[in-house]
Amino acid sequence: MKQFSTILKYELKNYFQKKMFIGITLFLVLLIAVLMFSPQFFQMLSIDDTESNEGKPVMLVIADTSKNADIIQKSFAEAFTNYDVHISEKNLDKIKNQITSDKAECAFVLNSLTSYDYYVNNLSLYDTNTQIADEALQNIYRMDEMKKNGIPMESVQKIFDTGIEHNTTSLGKNQEQNFFYTYIMIFSLYIVIILYGQMVATNVATEKSSRAMELLITSAKPVSMMFGKIIASCLAGLIQLVAVFGSAFLFYNVNKTYWKGNQIIESIFNMPLELLIYMIIFFILGFFVYAFLYGAIGSTVSKLEDINTSVMPLTFLFIFAFFVVIYSMSNGSVDNALMTICSYVPFTSPMAMFTRIAMSTVPIYEIVISIVILIVSVIGIGVISAKIYRVGVLLYGTAPKISSLLKTIKKA
Amino acid sequence: MELTLKNVQKSFGQKEVLKGISFSAEGGKAFGLLGRNGAGKTTSIRIIMGVFPAGSGEVLIDGKPIDYNKIQIGYLPEERGLYPKKKIIDQLVYFAQLKGMDHKSAVKSVDYWLKRLSMSEYRNKRLDTLSKGNQQKIQLITALAHDPQIIILDEPFSGLDPVNSMILKDVVKEQIKKGKIVLFSSHQMNYIEEFCDKIAILNNGKIVLQGELYDIKRNYVRDKLIVRSENADKIVKELGDCCSMTDMGEIKIQLTSEKEKQNMMKILTEKYDIDEIKVFEPSLNDIFVEYAKSQM
Repeated sequence: MKQFSTILKYELKNYFQKKMFIGITLFLVLLIAVLMFSPQFFQMLSIDDTESNEGKPVMLVIADTSKNADIIQKSFAEAFTNYDVHISEKNLDKIKNQITSDKAECAFVLNSLTSYDYYVNNLSLYDTNTQIADEALQNIYRMDEMKKNGIPMESVQKIFDTGIEHNTTSLGKNQEQNFFYTYIMIFSLYIVIILYGQMVATNVATEKSSRAMELLITSAKPVSMMFGKIIASCLAGLIQLVAVFGSAFLFYNVNKTYWKGNQIIESIFNMPLELLIYMIIFFILGFFVYAFLYGAIGSTVSKLEDINTSVMPLTFLFIFAFFVVIYSMSNGSVDNALMTICSYVPFTSPMAMFTRIAMSTVPIYEIVISIVILIVSVIGIGVISAKIYRVGVLLYGTAPKISSLLKTIKKA
Repeated sequence: MELTLKNVQKSFGQKEVLKGISFSAEGGKAFGLLGRNGAGKTTSIRIIMGVFPAGSGEVLIDGKPIDYNKIQIGYLPEERGLYPKKKIIDQLVYFAQLKGMDHKSAVKSVDYWLKRLSMSEYRNKRLDTLSKGNQQKIQLITALAHDPQIIILDEPFSGLDPVNSMILKDVVKEQIKKGKIVLFSSHQMNYIEEFCDKIAILNNGKIVLQGELYDIKRNYVRDKLIVRSENADKIVKELGDCCSMTDMGEIKIQLTSEKEKQNMMKILTEKYDIDEIKVFEPSLNDIFVEYAKSQM
């Protein structure tokens, strides 16, 4: 036990002495600070920025054939608040010239109320102007036709102004709200496990390749060595997560008033506490499943350059789990068959079950079963990995085949 | 204190690496464990240190099974290596702590040894900034800092310059004087001859020769003569096949039996002009080559 704590302290100290570790943590905290303080900062810059047409791009509307020019300009101005809308005469060359020379951004040349040509210099991927124009023109056309058919203007106005009221009550969970924080948490889970897992593998392999292992193995029990290393990296990962999320939470609360009305940010920070607890449970268990295996694989490698190829299958397994979860999340169907299976398989359940808990309603017994399977697997994988480790650290030369490794473990 | 290996056997898979070896090493004396590469030395050492258990047989201290909680072992592995990127003091203290020392006494002991080996100036340097010989001295500290009762040194002199070898020799002698069990494993027979009272030669997983070095040499069959003479050519020519020339220009005469010794000496001194004649006493190197080679 004393040995274990010596190793744990030493390994933990190693993390905290690494410039990379401190640097990345500080960088992330700083990034979050910049992000969280940005609305306050921008508000300070733009105090007197009252609405004016200055600086807005110019949109030309050519409607000389139509007698509804006034109405058209009015409704275009209402529909395109980001533009300075001008009615222009019909001179195609002049219009094109204005657009190419950046005097105007775009132009609508109306042939009738139901047909137009749209001119723009560079068509952006996100250009929705034609859709907005379609809607505006459709309204004008409908009003016009209704008037022609003898319906009085007042009634027409009323018909158009009638909106539909609706209320949504989510009895389970609201995916609009929890999507973002689930995404952030899954992503951090993914990054931390994969980074720290690989770090454990590299650490073990470095000890082997520098032959420090010769001395270590005769000074400490392999099991203490492995567990010390893995728990140290788990703690380091947790500390990093707490630093980043903690500072995000702190900075958000400082700037709470400036973020009012931003639904995404508000939804992230209104995350239920129980979810945070689940996150920690699944993080720790998931971390151990992978870190044990990474450690065991690291111990079978005798040259550092072999480490990447050796850990690849494990990394792929983890990436697969990540993609299943992200795919299901963006489809909105987190309870599909694949996700349900994945939420019981120990390699995928930390992410899959967590996502289901966060984004849908999972019966408590399912959560318990998943966690119990995970705990049992962590113990099982820990025992097997320790055996591989004990055998692996003394093996030099070519990496052993899985079959021969299994035989040696059986005997150990 | 006495360390005894009793009929220790070990196999890895199909390969039997140790085929039942037994020897014992006493405190206050150095024991030499010799053998060619792959003879089973490292495996024996690892079994003594409890890295893995013996397949069968026992490791005993004063007749009782070794208790690793009570017995401390210091080890200088043949494959040297520590953490290249770490500060020297940090890793030495870490290894001493792993051996059960508390932080304060670990620092004190490591500082003592750094001074003793005149390495104090490197205390706060990174290991990879040191020369190979100095790295080796640092590694030696990991074997000594926790004041172990048993010290196992695997090729301790390889890579050391004569001055550092002298320092190491003094340290080893001091440890032997303190009554510790020192186990040497080396290919450099001159060092073994200098330090070790007892040796065991390991070959192919078996001990082919063991005992007090003095006895081994005494008991070596005394059936060869070394002759120095002006008319060496004549002697070789007349005696024929039983003669061979040594590197030193002496004649080595193989007798048919030990008893013939006196007779041959008489013949030689009567017949030829002889400068010197003596019974051939083998060096440890000769004994090692003979035993380790013949049994392969």
